[in-house]
Amino acid sequence: MSLYLEAVGFGVVAAASIAIGAMGFTLQFGLTNVLNIGYGSIMSLGGLVAYACHAAGMSIWLGLAIGGLSASAMTLLVAKTILSVFARRGAGLFEMAMITFGVSLIIEYGIASATQNNTYSLFLAVEHAMTLGPFHFTKVQLVLVGLAIAVFVVLDLFLRLTKLGLALRATAIDPDLARASGIQTNRIVTAAWLMSGFLCGLAGGVFTINILTVNAFTGDTLLSLVIVSALLGTAGSVRGAVLAALVIGIATQVASVAGASGYDSAVAYGFLALVLLARPKTLQGELVTDKAQITV
Amino acid sequence: MQAFVSISLVYLGIYALSAWSLNLQYGYAGIINFGWIVFQAIGAYIAGVTALGTSSGSFQTYILGARLPFPLPLLMGTLAGGVLALVLGALILTRRIRPDFQAVILLVVSIIAAQVVIATPSIFDGSNGLSNIPKPFNGALHLSDQGYQWFYVGWMAVLCIIVFAGLQWLCRTSWGRALKAVREDETLAAYSGINVPLLRVVVFVIGGAIAGFSGALLAEFLGTWSPDAWNFVETFVVFVAVYVGGRGNHVGALLGAFLVPVVFGVMPSFLPEFGYPGLSANLEWIVIALLWLVTFYLRPAGILPERRYVAKRGGASSSASMRPTTPSPAPPTMDEPRTAS
Amino acid sequence: MSHEPLPGAEAPLQVEGEPVARGVSLPAQEAAGRSPGSHAALLEVEDLLVTYRGVPAVAGISLSVRSGEIVGLIGPNGAGKSSALNAISGDVRAASGSVRFAGHDITRLPPYRRARRGMARTSQTARVFEGLTVFEGLMTVARGAEGASLTRTVVRRGQRADEKETAEMVWELLDHHSFAHIANLYGRELSGGQRRFVDLAMALIRAPELLLLDEPMVGVAPALLPSLMEELQRVARAGVGILMVEHALDVVAALCDRVIVMAAGSIIAEGTYQEIAEDVEVRRAYLS
Repeated sequence: MSLYLEAVGFGVVAAASIAIGAMGFTLQFGLTNVLNIGYGSIMSLGGLVAYACHAAGMSIWLGLAIGGLSASAMTLLVAKTILSVFARRGAGLFEMAMITFGVSLIIEYGIASATQNNTYSLFLAVEHAMTLGPFHFTKVQLVLVGLAIAVFVVLDLFLRLTKLGLALRATAIDPDLARASGIQTNRIVTAAWLMSGFLCGLAGGVFTINILTVNAFTGDTLLSLVIVSALLGTAGSVRGAVLAALVIGIATQVASVAGASGYDSAVAYGFLALVLLARPKTLQGELVTDKAQITV
Repeated sequence: MQAFVSISLVYLGIYALSAWSLNLQYGYAGIINFGWIVFQAIGAYIAGVTALGTSSGSFQTYILGARLPFPLPLLMGTLAGGVLALVLGALILTRRIRPDFQAVILLVVSIIAAQVVIATPSIFDGSNGLSNIPKPFNGALHLSDQGYQWFYVGWMAVLCIIVFAGLQWLCRTSWGRALKAVREDETLAAYSGINVPLLRVVVFVIGGAIAGFSGALLAEFLGTWSPDAWNFVETFVVFVAVYVGGRGNHVGALLGAFLVPVVFGVMPSFLPEFGYPGLSANLEWIVIALLWLVTFYLRPAGILPERRYVAKRGGASSSASMRPTTPSPAPPTMDEPRTAS
Repeated sequence: MSHEPLPGAEAPLQVEGEPVARGVSLPAQEAAGRSPGSHAALLEVEDLLVTYRGVPAVAGISLSVRSGEIVGLIGPNGAGKSSALNAISGDVRAASGSVRFAGHDITRLPPYRRARRGMARTSQTARVFEGLTVFEGLMTVARGAEGASLTRTVVRRGQRADEKETAEMVWELLDHHSFAHIANLYGRELSGGQRRFVDLAMALIRAPELLLLDEPMVGVAPALLPSLMEELQRVARAGVGILMVEHALDVVAALCDRVIVMAAGSIIAEGTYQEIAEDVEVRRAYLS
């Protein structure tokens, strides 16, 4: 029993990286409608930069921030040089997804080539786990969870209270209407890429700190859970994404305690397939849109 | 040197079959089978286990052993591809899902399949995979290794010609035309009474069977088959081949099969190792991804795009390249006069 | 009661005399010798309710169309006309109510099944097959489910003859309307007016019993409206029932035997054009 409780505890910590990643993904997806498979590769990037900063002597927390910033820059670069070019030429939903898949290959195998396919281990100072009721957490794990909570609060307030946040939500709901009301959608989209890119890199860094290893493909397994959470929470809803991340994080940890761990990622991917299959539905009175809008 | 040519040619045949299978599903019918590799894989596995005999007493563990004579394993592999396509098609293609989601669902299926196979060695011997798969005719003809490779080139050529001819004929019938209609606008196709989900499943099954066929042939050539051979990214390579060569054109698909997986995949494996081990494999993926982006930017329809069907009266018809024809001077158009709008 | 025309409908269009009987778009219809204006109720809609996310777009309407009748469905924007049409064609699922076609309840049938029973429709946006030539598109639609059947294709029984016959029919249709020159153009290469024509041709080539038209006159040059209207009248005379959503009130006045007016999801008036033009409710709906 205590094993399961501990798994719940691990789940909450795991949910931290999933939640941050899902918040970033939902920001992107809700706005642009592009299923960005390259998101995973940029999570790897964030994790590696954080690791590299730490290995060079900086504090890991500073490394996290720098990882986020690099991811932010990379995301904007990819969006402006590749994604918007093809979107403007009328690429369809699938073609955009395939483009992001190609971008993901280039980034991940590029990183792999640069790092000679190495997997790096993160060495943090050994800590004693603190006891909180039936759970055991290290200080670092608590900071990660706190970080995720802080990110959520800041993002939620930002979207609800600031002008930019409201403009973002308006553009996500109806880009044409937003543009017609005078919102500079181009700038909104740029801001969204930068912010979601930062969160993407941050998520990769948090994940790295949690599992203490990182390589070019670290983001892949995290990506499936991130997409599941973002979609379960309905695109564009930050609160939904966080809640879903919590559930998914705990569920996967408990499942791996219950069953053989070789199927961990298979289960995660299975979730993804089911979520994609289940929505969007053709509801009564609703036509499924043939051509969805891509705002990039 | 001989090995380089013969092996490249065999792989050309395999990738041609792969590209035709995907071209039928995607180029003609618009079905985004982003998990394509799993159909090739099951064809290979089933062909393997139906030729190896039962697994008891062998160092490999797998299900469904049988010692069937040639050409039954080949047929079983083909059938397996078709059956898997039937199951997945019925589950996935009969609902309306946005195309990118559908692609990712199928991609995920191929990822899960690989992980399940690796984690459950009792199915197909896990990451070790199957080995010692009997090569067809090897006992009958007493050829050297190189000689057998040349034999296989001829064998593949015959099979490819048959499949190519069959597909070309099929895609030129009213059924082939219906595929394109469904690809272009499924709602409009439904207005004419066409059962779109059924048509999609049928195409999926045929494509799946051809994919299984290619897998069986490859497994019989290599004598082994393990999860390394069916990484989910392989699907991407076949997609790029079809995109670069020309969607909706089986000759284009053949060209793409040569240019992409053979020139950039198979041939470089003959180059001497440089950098650290694995560098050339990494670079390969990067090059193929770049090739895809560049080609899609410069020539989205591919090198040999789908040909325009030019209908003539009296039943004759011809094909022309995609350049738009300028119509001869026409009677007053049906358009509103162009006033300032 | 005022006799001023409704906003948007000045003098109704004159359709000249009795049009010369034209060609061959409906061989099956004419061969069947259906007498125009037979009074069997072809389409019966009862208490149709269509909701979008819980909000009713069509709030329980009932209507009917007879063979040989041209019924216009008009109303201000957002009245639910297109939703009603979509529910009849099966593109949208009705929350409740029933749609009966030629005596059979088709409420639960998907669009392709309704099409097989003799329903055809055009689209508001003049949909064509962008990546097929006009000829290919018409052939596909004309051969329909049989052309798409793999077993029939492989067994080849009568395939070549069917294809040849259908091709002849397609050429006749194109020639008759002087559109042979666009036969080999891709859908995406067509002008707006050509798309309208092809969209309608695809609906007519299957010799339907019921024709659902969604704003068929939009984008058509005024000079050619009369011939398009003559075509629809000829089709109706051959026994086809037509339900037409249309905004151009002069067209509606000239063409429709009966007009149904919708506003805010309900039917507020029904009758001849004259009758509904004088209806107080209708005026209020249009002017508010």
